[in-house]
Amino acid sequence: MDKLLLLLLIVLTITGFLLARSLLEPGNVVRVSSENKTLYVLSLDEDRTVLVRGPLGDNVIEIKSRKARIKDATCPDKLCTHQGWIHRGAIICLPNRVVVTVGADKRDERYDAILK
Amino acid sequence: MKGFKTQDSEFKIQNSKIKIQDSRFRIFVFSLLTIHFSLFLSGCSKQDRIYRESRISMDTICTITIVSSSKRQAKEAVDAGFAEIKRLEGLLNFFSPDSEITAINRSSGYKPVRVSKETLVIIKKAVRISDYTDGAFDPAVGPLMRLWGFSDKGISGVIPTPQEIKNILPLVDYRKIKINDSTSEIFLEKKGMELDLGGIAKGYAADKAIEVIKSRGIKAALVAIGGDIRGYGLKPDKKPWRVGIQNPRPKSENIEPQAEKEDIFVSLYLKDAAISTSGDYQRSFIKDGVRYHHILDPKTGFPAGRAMSVSVIAPEGYMADAISTGVFVLGPEKGIKLLESLGLSGIIVDVNKKIFLTKDLQGKITIEKTL
Repeated sequence: MDKLLLLLLIVLTITGFLLARSLLEPGNVVRVSSENKTLYVLSLDEDRTVLVRGPLGDNVIEIKSRKARIKDATCPDKLCTHQGWIHRGAIICLPNRVVVTVGADKRDERYDAILK
Repeated sequence: MKGFKTQDSEFKIQNSKIKIQDSRFRIFVFSLLTIHFSLFLSGCSKQDRIYRESRISMDTICTITIVSSSKRQAKEAVDAGFAEIKRLEGLLNFFSPDSEITAINRSSGYKPVRVSKETLVIIKKAVRISDYTDGAFDPAVGPLMRLWGFSDKGISGVIPTPQEIKNILPLVDYRKIKINDSTSEIFLEKKGMELDLGGIAKGYAADKAIEVIKSRGIKAALVAIGGDIRGYGLKPDKKPWRVGIQNPRPKSENIEPQAEKEDIFVSLYLKDAAISTSGDYQRSFIKDGVRYHHILDPKTGFPAGRAMSVSVIAPEGYMADAISTGVFVLGPEKGIKLLESLGLSGIIVDVNKKIFLTKDLQGKITIEKTL
């Protein structure tokens, strides 16, 4: 009985910690970059379409219903468009060097804010 | 009887061992309970904590950081701060069809437009900074931004012809913005003129968000709207906010942009002040090996070519924001002179990666790496 209580307390403590941390963590962010430079930081909660001009042509990035995809591309193989919708992870259009990533931003703990 | 006594004493010994274990267990449970209880109470106890939240607003990532002893108070202040940023985004957006700025632009060369006191105040602030910077910062840069295709829908990547730029330049002139205080009216004298407050709106929004957060009794906060930051107060460890400035030319060809360690070249402590960074790497495109960025020189109509990165520290965010843009256009020599004459601080990286500092900053910032 006592051990059960102990277990319960430990579980409660850990979940409490995690809950408190997650409550104010940044939400999901769609980051669109080209040639290693971030072009857009967009919210996954807001439906939107943006056009990115890479060295080979355009990529159309669509955000809809908390998912993102490369809707259209002028690159030769169009592999990126076949990857479809993602809600986490990355889509990379290699010929055009366009990267779309979805996920919470990692934070550099050494600083309170970064000037980009 | 003897046997029984022995058994009894043995039993007693075992029993006392159990008791010892039991009391240790209780202490453990008790201490766990105490930790747990204090965790619960931390929401309303006197211990300060840092609360942080990021949202997308004004086409960039905004982060509000708050020091508070109450989670509820922190959450409410964070929400109020974001609501203020969202409100100003609607008011000042150059691209939004129903903003007051768009109404002014539509009536250029035709008639004055009555605006809210707040829009009037911010336009006055913008024009004052244009005066300080001798037009290097110009809120009438709208037609030029449009010509270069820097918009919220994307970057067109098309370079305008010199003739196209020449035709537009007469429209880019802050002296043709007429402000009537008594009627709260703004008039753009020449048809085709357009205000674009992109170079001051984020810094101003950071000021207003801080104002809202402060009014809620928060003792320390940091509001970052992209490259425009305003902070006040001290963190729970009694230190000011630590801010890092991104290396304008990061060396790593990292395909994953969400690296855990940022490439920082300068760091400093920010106490009751604002800092803004203007960089040629922010909104830009590369064509035939040449970088074209969104900080356009109002005098030439081309992207300013004297600096890579300019950071300005000022008492207020709108000032840091607009002056960093102006100094970026002016370049290091004129820029440092201007900052020192205005009593402001700045860090300028020129096109050869040489770092220039205002006198007051020398020895007060940490150069993390040479460029």
